[in-house]
Amino acid sequence: MMRRWLTGVVALIIMCLAVAPACASVDLLYLEQQLKCPTCDTPLNVSSAPSALRIKAFIEEKAAQGWSTSQIEQSLVTQFGRDILATPPKSGFDLLVWLVPAAFVVAGLGALPFVARSWSSRRRTVAAVVAGVTPEEQQRLNEELRRRDL
Amino acid sequence: MVLVAFASMLTVGLLNRGVSNSIDSAIAKGQRAPAPDFRLPVLTSVPGLPPAGHQLTLSSLRGRPIILNIWASWCGPCTSEAPILQSVWDHYRSKGVLVLGVDVKDLTGDALAFHNNYGLTFPSVRDGEGNIEGPYGTTGVPESFVIDRQGRVAAALRGPLSDAGSQANLPGFLAVVDEVRAEGAPST
Repeated sequence: MMRRWLTGVVALIIMCLAVAPACASVDLLYLEQQLKCPTCDTPLNVSSAPSALRIKAFIEEKAAQGWSTSQIEQSLVTQFGRDILATPPKSGFDLLVWLVPAAFVVAGLGALPFVARSWSSRRRTVAAVVAGVTPEEQQRLNEELRRRDL
Repeated sequence: MVLVAFASMLTVGLLNRGVSNSIDSAIAKGQRAPAPDFRLPVLTSVPGLPPAGHQLTLSSLRGRPIILNIWASWCGPCTSEAPILQSVWDHYRSKGVLVLGVDVKDLTGDALAFHNNYGLTFPSVRDGEGNIEGPYGTTGVPESFVIDRQGRVAAALRGPLSDAGSQANLPGFLAVVDEVRAEGAPST
């Protein structure tokens, strides 16, 4: 009885060891987030379109066969083109998609001191204008206030 | 400079995603628009065409009437259309008409399995990126086109071929195929 139980446990461990490396090497959720459904342009993990379901099945099938994450991704890019990637690769022409927004942020941060200085000097000018009331204006103001007192 | 680059990329991106309606507009006026050319890898071949894996250019088939069918293995209506299309191919093959499938946005293995499961013997090319969809004004699958010997689109069917009930569109579609076939070869 004991021997049969031990044999079962050993067999189970061997099975787990045989299957685990293949499955553990692929992050299915990561792949489904990184790839788009070709017909609906949404990430695979949130798509239930027929084409997306087929691609998810393909991913699971290849993962079970021991393919790596990059092998599966590359195979799908070969079959569907780079449009299947949910985020463009950080190389070649696609790098611009990452660089342009970053350039805008850097340019915005760089311009911030100049903009702040410009606003500050404009406020100073306004204050100076308010402070610099001419004698005529002051006299008109006093007359107006005096009239309201009556 | 950066703004101009960004605007240019945006414009190119938007233009590339555009769906043309030139085919339908021409047909509505009783005219035939040139069939947008493409160069795609052959999925399944027949004698006289490049073998599977090689590139096929549509314009290289000029002089022969073509029934161009856009399909995908994951498309439900394509499964009901497949036997009809095969019958059309069986009937017209010896009459010089080519049925050419364009499998779009599909896994290669699934597309080949679809061909085998439905016993399809007409050739198909593969368009994994679906680049054909914009120029042909395709908004879904399946869709079929009749292309004349001069490489112009004589008919466009937006939906599955059907030969039964009130939705039957096959007789009208085949009437255009016969008309195009009767026009004779272009003089060169």
